[in-house]
Amino acid sequence: MHYTFDIERGNFTDAGRASSSVKRTLKHLGVDPANIKRTVVALFEAEINAIAHAYGGTIDVDIDEGKIVMVVADHGPGIPNIDLAMQEGWSTASPQVREMGYGAGMGLPNIKKNTDELKIDTQVGVGTTVTMTVYFA
Amino acid sequence: MAERETFFRHSLKVDFDRCQGCTTCMRSCPTGAIRIRGGKAVVDDNKCVDCGQCMKVCPHKAIYIQQDDFALIKNYQYRVCLVPSTFIGQFDEQYRTREIYSCLKKLGFTHIYEVEHEVEYMVGLYQRYMDSHPETRTFISPYCPAVIRLIQVRFPSLVDNVIKVRAPFELASRIIIRRLMDEGAPRESIGVFYVTPCAAKIAAVKYPVSRKETCISGVINMDFLYNKVQLILHESGNDAQPSNHALTSQDVLWALAGGEACHFQGSQYAVDGLQNVLNFLEKLEDEAVDAQGLVEMRICDQGCVGGVLTTNNRFVARKRLEHRAQDLQHREKTRYGRYEDPEFCKWIDEQMEIPEIKPRSIYKLDDDFSAAFKMAERMRKIEKALPGVNCSACGAPSCAALAEDIVRGDARMDTCIFINRHSQASEDAIRSIWGDRVRTKEINHEK
Repeated sequence: MHYTFDIERGNFTDAGRASSSVKRTLKHLGVDPANIKRTVVALFEAEINAIAHAYGGTIDVDIDEGKIVMVVADHGPGIPNIDLAMQEGWSTASPQVREMGYGAGMGLPNIKKNTDELKIDTQVGVGTTVTMTVYFA
Repeated sequence: MAERETFFRHSLKVDFDRCQGCTTCMRSCPTGAIRIRGGKAVVDDNKCVDCGQCMKVCPHKAIYIQQDDFALIKNYQYRVCLVPSTFIGQFDEQYRTREIYSCLKKLGFTHIYEVEHEVEYMVGLYQRYMDSHPETRTFISPYCPAVIRLIQVRFPSLVDNVIKVRAPFELASRIIIRRLMDEGAPRESIGVFYVTPCAAKIAAVKYPVSRKETCISGVINMDFLYNKVQLILHESGNDAQPSNHALTSQDVLWALAGGEACHFQGSQYAVDGLQNVLNFLEKLEDEAVDAQGLVEMRICDQGCVGGVLTTNNRFVARKRLEHRAQDLQHREKTRYGRYEDPEFCKWIDEQMEIPEIKPRSIYKLDDDFSAAFKMAERMRKIEKALPGVNCSACGAPSCAALAEDIVRGDARMDTCIFINRHSQASEDAIRSIWGDRVRTKEINHEK
């Protein structure tokens, strides 16, 4: 099953649309609540990341028997130093973003914690593609 | 509908003589538990959480709450009315608490006991539970039984966040029984009758989530008792007997929104009202809010004073209770002596424990993942094909719900009047849902 969502830069109020929709389907499939939670938390974080840092993008979700693959692709500044970005507490978020309660530097580390596979392809000045996989079994 | 195992039982009933099948209740149900069949609202017991929303919105007063026969109290020598402070909030401020309690005695009760007597111990039970689960960040109050059931069916991933302690009336009933036994009353001669502001508490007495025994002998609907007391107040005027009620100001406010949260240190949240509770649970589940500490949740707006069986306006009732709390400001708490006995407390703690809260997801399409997957795919396709206007003419609350009903085998595609509105099959399907009240165009013209 395939889902596509658009991401609009700076539209924090719209965040969670993708994760809510995916959550509903996973509940219908009878996926274990703990796995639903991991998936939804990771997707929500990735969505927020793209809203906060990039200039728009898309979310593609594929649900298969036994796993979910979520690809969040943005046109954005890219991540110059992935190792730093993976550190808890490291953040380049703007003061405005922090004022909204985001930008604590927990985004990527939290995604890593909640997914079984995480792949980040990034090119400075072009964009970032985050591919997350969660296995249900 | 297909046969399924029933997990929940309810006191909310539909009066088919009054029900018009108008879809109002069905559209407001937070768990999608209602369908129209044979022109009447039909409730799925496994989905209903006893929130009472359907009863609140029904324009025909066709939904009612079954209660125990009031004459039941006559079976006991000691007849205790276990009354929540919300009850006092129903009356005009000209009537003092004592007068209201005198009326209850005239109705046949021998003892009046306020549920909120045990607030202090309840707070301790919550606190000990939280202290013994340091790995949990968010604790959801177990106070509102409708919230617990809502979590079971719609937010199963949050069942472990609920504090596993039974409702306050379970504690209060045990304490009053013990107090009367201390005074020499035989156990079997004591009947405790709880006055309920809502359907959820009846369900929690009769069919507890804990599956443990209750000490409540019967449940009386608050509106029923209000009418009886109001009548006596009108007939006999001021006649207050001295009573031994001894609540403190904080006890009185316990049932109001914010009444639990204020007892706890650190960050706590107080969420009231159905839509607010749903939104907050959704966010908790997504970890979109990081709530640390106690989250108090009440399905009814303003807490129990907004219960479906209350009579007075909830804001007026709240004000009355706040005034009463002000009057009691300087009162010292008198604690039941047995609370000093560790053995007794151990027994109480065991009685109040909920061993487990089981997730009861209403979403799962099939136990087998492959089967569920195929159904979910089909459901998405059907949903896209449906008009999306949520007209409810198919007897389901929304097009999404109809799509689910179709893949579950509970409805057919041609029950949608938009899909197949000219065929005989459609005509028959609509008739099976709406009965003979649905007339054809020709008949309407004749008229």
